[in-house]
Amino acid sequence: MRIALVGNQNSGKTTLFNQLTGTNQKVGNWPGVTVERKVGIIRGTDFELIDLPGIYSLSPYSLEENISRTFLFEEHVDVILNIIDATSIERSLYLTTQLLELNIPVIVALNMMDIADKRGIKFDLATLEKRLDTSILPISALKKTNIFNLIQTLKLGDYRRNLYQHIYDHELEKAIDSLMPIVDTKHSRFLAVKVIERDPLFEDYVNTEVQGIIDDISKKYQRDMEQIIADERYRYIETIRDEAISIKKQNLTITDRLDNIFLNRYLAIPIFIIIMFGVYYLAAGPFGSWTVDLVDGVITQLKEWMEVFLIDVNASPWAVSLIVDGILAGVGAILNFLPQLIILFILISLLETTGYMARIAFFLDRIFQKVGLSGKSLIPFIVGSGCSVPAIMSARTINDETEKKMTIMLTPFIPCSAKLPIVTLFAGYFFNDRSGFISASLYFLAIIIILVSAYTMKKILFRGKQSSFILELPEYKRPSLRYLWFDVSSKALAFIERAGSIILMASIVIWFLLSFNFRMQYGIAVDDSILASIGRLISWLFYPMLGELSWAASVSAIQGLIAKEQVIGSMAIIAGYSSDISEGTLLFTSGIFSFFTASSAYAFMIFNLFSAPCFGAIGAMREELGTTKRMWKAVIFQTGLAWLLAVFVFQISRLIEVIL
Amino acid sequence: MKISKRVNRGEETRLSQLKKGQHAKVTKINTQDKSLRRRLLDMGITEGVHVQVKKIAPLGDPVDIALRGYELCLRRHDLDTIDVEVLS
Repeated sequence: MRIALVGNQNSGKTTLFNQLTGTNQKVGNWPGVTVERKVGIIRGTDFELIDLPGIYSLSPYSLEENISRTFLFEEHVDVILNIIDATSIERSLYLTTQLLELNIPVIVALNMMDIADKRGIKFDLATLEKRLDTSILPISALKKTNIFNLIQTLKLGDYRRNLYQHIYDHELEKAIDSLMPIVDTKHSRFLAVKVIERDPLFEDYVNTEVQGIIDDISKKYQRDMEQIIADERYRYIETIRDEAISIKKQNLTITDRLDNIFLNRYLAIPIFIIIMFGVYYLAAGPFGSWTVDLVDGVITQLKEWMEVFLIDVNASPWAVSLIVDGILAGVGAILNFLPQLIILFILISLLETTGYMARIAFFLDRIFQKVGLSGKSLIPFIVGSGCSVPAIMSARTINDETEKKMTIMLTPFIPCSAKLPIVTLFAGYFFNDRSGFISASLYFLAIIIILVSAYTMKKILFRGKQSSFILELPEYKRPSLRYLWFDVSSKALAFIERAGSIILMASIVIWFLLSFNFRMQYGIAVDDSILASIGRLISWLFYPMLGELSWAASVSAIQGLIAKEQVIGSMAIIAGYSSDISEGTLLFTSGIFSFFTASSAYAFMIFNLFSAPCFGAIGAMREELGTTKRMWKAVIFQTGLAWLLAVFVFQISRLIEVIL
Repeated sequence: MKISKRVNRGEETRLSQLKKGQHAKVTKINTQDKSLRRRLLDMGITEGVHVQVKKIAPLGDPVDIALRGYELCLRRHDLDTIDVEVLS
C-alpha cells in the first residue's frame, strides 16, 4: 500500500513522518524544510509512506506544489494522509478541500492538539468528520500522542472512503457536474475544477465542449474563476468552522510577548547580532578551539601508539607510513574538528526549531530586498554555515525565481563547517591572540561579498519587476531535546562518514602520490614525488596570492573540490611526510609550509573559502539551478572572484608590510 | 511608498496604509500578477476576510498580518494591491 503524506509547511509533517517510519529526517520550525520527496516504511507494516513537500494549495505556480500535485494526480496512491495544524485550522482545511476532490481516500491527522487545547480551541470531531466526510484523528506528533492509533487505523483500513461533498454554490456545482463526464479521468472532479480555474497544466483537456461550459460559467460570475473558487472554498470552511470549532479569544499569547522583544524596533537587530556573534564565538572561538586541541591530543597519542605497535609487529616501513602518515594524519586532521562542528550544529538546530530563524527572515527582508535578495535567503545562508548542500536545497522556498537563483549562487560563499578547519588552523597559528577576530572578519567578508555581488547581479543581470515575499510566521516553540539529538547526530554522522569514506580514500591516494615517483620507487625525497610534479604544473596560479611557488599548497587547495576539509588533510599528510612532525599548529613549522606569512595565510584562506565549493555542493547547485551551463557560470564566478580577492588582499598587505 | 496618516473606521484604503493593531476587512485584490494573486488567495486573503496588522518589521517592511487564526508576512509593495475597509 502506498500512502502520501500531505500537509502545509510547518504543520509537523516531517515530525509525523519520523514517528511513523522511525527514520530520522530533517525537522525545523521554519516553513519548507522538506524540499525533497522522502520515502519510508511505516513501522510494523509494509506500507510505503511518501513525504511530499509542504504545500498550502495545489496551484500551478510553485515548484513544490507542482511536484505534489503531479505525484498525486499521476502516480498510484492508495491513501492520502493529510496532516493539519489544529492551531490554524482554516488555512489547513483549504488544502484538504482540494485533496478531497481527488479520487483518493483522505485521512486527516489533526496535529498539535496539545497546543490547541492549551489555547482553548475546542473541536467537535463528530461534526467535523461528518461535514468533511473523512476520518479525523487528533494527534500530537511531537508528544507521540495517538500515533499508534493512526498506524492501527491505516492497518485495519478503518477509515471513511469519503464521498465528495458539494461545497460550491449551485451554478458552479452544475458546471462541474456537466464537465466531469467530458474530462473523464480517474480524478474527474479535481480536473473539472482545474479546467474552470483555467489551470495551464490541464489545458489539454479543454476542447470546444469544455470551453463552452467554462465560458458560460465565467459569464455568470463576471469575475476571475480562480478567485471565485478560492472564495467558495473558504466560505465553505467558515461554515464548518462555525459549526464544529470554538475558539476562546486570547489577548496576548506568549509568542506575541516574545515578539515584542525579538521584533522590537530598536532591539531586534542588536539582539540578532548578539545571537549570531554568540553562535560563532562558541563554535569558532576559544571554546571551539579548546575542543579541537583536546581531540588533537588524543589522535596524536593514537598515532604514536600505532607507530610503536606496528614497528613492534615488524610491519614494513611503507605500511607503517601508509597508516600513520597517510590514513591517521589525513582522517585525524579532519576528526579534530568534530566537537566544534557539533557545537555549530546544535546552535543552528536551536535557531531553526525555536522559530527564531523565520523572524530573522522577516526583519532582515528589507535589507535583502534592497540588494535583490529575499529575507528567506538568510535561511540558506545560516544553514550554509553548517553545510552548503542542504542550504542550497532550502533556497527552494524562495518565491521569486531571480531571488532564488541568486541565493543559490551566493550560498557557497558562506564558510561552511568543512571550511571551519581551514580557518581554525590558519587563524590559530598566524593570528593566535586575534584568531577569533580574524575568523569573524572572514564571516563579515563573506556577508559583504554576498551583498555586493547580489547588488551587482541585480543591476546588471536580472533587471526586472519587484518581487514578492510571503512567509508564515510560526509560533515560538520550546526546542525538543529528542529532535535536537536526531538532527545533530545525523549531521555529525554524515561528517564522520565523509571522513571515513571520501577523506580516507583521498588520504590514501595522496599518500601514494607523495610516496612514489613516476618510476614507482618508494622512499624518495618529497620533492621528487608524483604529487610534487602535479603541483608544479599549477603552482604558478597560486603564486600571486602566496608569494611562493608552492606545489604543496597548490595541490592541497585543488583538493578542496573533493571536500573542503581535505585541504587540511592533504597539508597534514604532506607536512608530516617532509619532516617528523604531526599535524595541528605544528604543520607550519615544517619546511614545506614555512613560507606562509600572515598575509599569505589570510589570502590562502580567502581563496579556499570563496572558490568553487566541494563536488557535493556543485552537484546541488546543478540540480537547483536547472542547467549545467548555469552551474558552470556559478562555479567560474565563485572561483574567479575568490582568486582576484585573494591576490588583491595578499598584494595590498604585502605592500603595507614593506611600508611598515 | 508614502505612509499617510491614520485611516479611521469605515474608510476605504489599502492594506499597506494600516497602522499596527488596526483591524480591517479585505474588499478587493487588485494585482495583475496571476501567481501572486493565487498565492494570496491560497493563504486565505479572500474578499471579506478579517485581517489585523500584528507586527511591523523593525525596518518598516515587511508587515505581519493576522488572519484566519495565523500570521502571514508580506511586503508593503504587495499589501498595496489589497483594498480594505477599516474596522477599527
